[in-house]
Amino acid sequence: MSNQKKRIFQIEAFQNRVVVDPKYAEKTWKILVHAIHEIYNHNASGLSFEELYRNAYNMVLHKFGEKLYSGLVTTMTAHLKEISKSIEAAQGNLFLEELNRKWNDHNKALQMIRDILMYMDRTYIPDTHKTPVHEPGLNLWRDNIIHSGKIQSRLLSTLLELVHRERTGEVIDRGLMRNIVKMLMDLGSSIYQEDFEKPFLEVSAEFYRGESQKFIECYDCGDYLKKAEIRLNEEIERVTHYLDAKSEGKITNVVEKEMIANHMMRLVHMENSGLVNMLLNDKHGDLGRMYNLFRRVPNGLAMIRDVMTSHLRETGKQLVTDAESLKDPVEYVQRLLDEKEKYDGIISLAFSNDKTFQNALNSSFEYFINLNSRSPEFISLFVDDKLRKGLKGVSEGDVEIILDKVMMIFRYLQEKDVFEKYYKQHLAKRLLSLIVKLKTACGYQYTSKLEGMFTDMKTSQDTMQGFCSSHPELTDGPTLVVQVLTTGSWPTQPSITCHLSFEMSALCEKFRSYYLGTHTDIKAIFGKGQKHELNVSTYQMCVLMLFNNADRLCYKEIEQGTAIPASDLKRCLQSMACVKGKNVLRKEPMSKDIGEDDSFFVNEKFASKFYKVKVGTVVAQKESEPEKQETRQRVEEDRKPQIEAAIVRIMKSRKVLDHNNIIAEVTKQLQSRFLANPTEIKKRIESLIEREFLERDNSDRKMYRYLA
Amino acid sequence: MNRKDTVKLISADEMEFVIDKDAAMVSQTIRNMLTSPGGFAETELGEVTFPEISAVILEKICQYFYWALQYSR
Repeated sequence: MSNQKKRIFQIEAFQNRVVVDPKYAEKTWKILVHAIHEIYNHNASGLSFEELYRNAYNMVLHKFGEKLYSGLVTTMTAHLKEISKSIEAAQGNLFLEELNRKWNDHNKALQMIRDILMYMDRTYIPDTHKTPVHEPGLNLWRDNIIHSGKIQSRLLSTLLELVHRERTGEVIDRGLMRNIVKMLMDLGSSIYQEDFEKPFLEVSAEFYRGESQKFIECYDCGDYLKKAEIRLNEEIERVTHYLDAKSEGKITNVVEKEMIANHMMRLVHMENSGLVNMLLNDKHGDLGRMYNLFRRVPNGLAMIRDVMTSHLRETGKQLVTDAESLKDPVEYVQRLLDEKEKYDGIISLAFSNDKTFQNALNSSFEYFINLNSRSPEFISLFVDDKLRKGLKGVSEGDVEIILDKVMMIFRYLQEKDVFEKYYKQHLAKRLLSLIVKLKTACGYQYTSKLEGMFTDMKTSQDTMQGFCSSHPELTDGPTLVVQVLTTGSWPTQPSITCHLSFEMSALCEKFRSYYLGTHTDIKAIFGKGQKHELNVSTYQMCVLMLFNNADRLCYKEIEQGTAIPASDLKRCLQSMACVKGKNVLRKEPMSKDIGEDDSFFVNEKFASKFYKVKVGTVVAQKESEPEKQETRQRVEEDRKPQIEAAIVRIMKSRKVLDHNNIIAEVTKQLQSRFLANPTEIKKRIESLIEREFLERDNSDRKMYRYLA
Repeated sequence: MNRKDTVKLISADEMEFVIDKDAAMVSQTIRNMLTSPGGFAETELGEVTFPEISAVILEKICQYFYWALQYSR
């Protein structure tokens, strides 16, 4: 049996406890201090990072972190004091450069120290809630250098001087400026603001105050504005180059305030070059500049607007009360148009279509146009004049343009009903004079139909009113707008054979009874408006009514349901389904032409800006061949009775006449209306002979005798 | 003969380990050493001495670097 000696395992603590006598700490620290010195003296190449790192690590590990930290602070402070001395010693221009250089050095050193002491940063600092190495570095710099009495003020004055020099046109070292400013920013934005920005802004304000004063004495408005713009751009550029971006807003405010806001009144009212002058001379460039600059300043634009408004009203008032132009209404309105155009141009070019200016313009125009109570009359005279003249020489497009412009002026009239009255009078005069001319040229019968048309329009309106007032219960049904036409006067249309839907027929009946009660033997023909306030022709209405009962119809069904002739149906479907913006119906397939197989739906997506929508009929562009023939035929038909009447008249007076002479006489009589065809005349004679109005002479085949 | 970027890590018993710079950079400390703006000896020579780390340990550390690189990609 083995004698097992019981070995008592004693677990002893680490033998390797590093001897941490204070001496060790001292030693290590000395090494580190030495290293820091070397670093500051740019002698770091001789050092071993690893060794230093190890030392720092050990110090912290053995709880000497405190010593390390405080030691660091003291050492750095000492160094920085030295540095500040050397900076102070720098002369004149070299001051900034020296400062810059030392700052760079400091930064580098700080970085190196931080790297070495990384372990401390990571462990000791969070434990004791101190700030990591980098910060004390910066703070120390700030305290010792920047805030050291002599340096601080010198720094500031140098910087400001440089800025001033640049403003007066010298070139300065922008890179240097940028570095210094960056240094200030790195030290903290409050430093930057306190130490630099605030004084900078103050000095700038003063500078610009002085400058603006000087400028405004020497330059006129336009030039002053140019200068102000230049300065503004300069400042913005300066900021981008070497100042903090946040300063941009502040410095531009300063410039704006000093150069513009303070002198706004004066600029605008400057004689011979102020706003008024610019407006009069159409100086768009200057106006545009003024607009841009004033826009930055509160109330700038309001001021421009006010001055412009008052000026406009003044000139306008002069215009309308000028005795000269009152004598010639056309001249008057022309001048108004010119004025409007000019200001429109100004607003669009110089004021970039600013809505508020547009409104100001409108209100001014309204104001002074209505000052002259005869404006409506003049405008209608102008339109009258243009329409008359329009027939000769001026192309239709031009007349349109002029009329559009007049429409704009028209909107300003407050007393639009006065205009309406005058316009009606002038229109009536125009038309009547036209009719009179036609009458004298062509005879009564020619114009009677036209006159008939006009009287019809008038009477139908009266009748409508009468009907509506006597049947008040109909107001919520489809509204009925009726034109009562005398059959003889209007171009004859094939009588409408379409089937009216039930409710419309009921209405029609009512109207018919009312009408026949008041007038006798005049046939009532209808054209209507619809309940969606769609203004459609009769055919369109019938088609739409069909859709009341069905959502989808094909062409054939529509044709059957309405019994409208094919060409008309196609036209009216086209106008309802294919016209952009007015497509009440949807068509499949979506093509321009209507085919036999197309199907139609009600367009739910139909939307229109207006409540009342007028759906016109697609104008038959050119009369197609058959239609042309038809019209010709109708004309021929109309001529026949005329020829006959002429023949009878002649024969009655002459009693006996031979063939050639009859032809000659008839042609002469009908000359004013149309050129009669001899064969046609012969035919008419034949038919008259058959009807026993004339007879052939027994002896001479060519002679005709009138029968009583 | 440094074809690519390599660094040399030297252990306490003077074993030299040549590894890629990327591998070495896995360690923050080494990275700082090598990229420090100051002109430390390490940056100049491209080698780092660890007088307190034995070769065995250092070897393991290098292996760890490569492992970390491999799995971080």
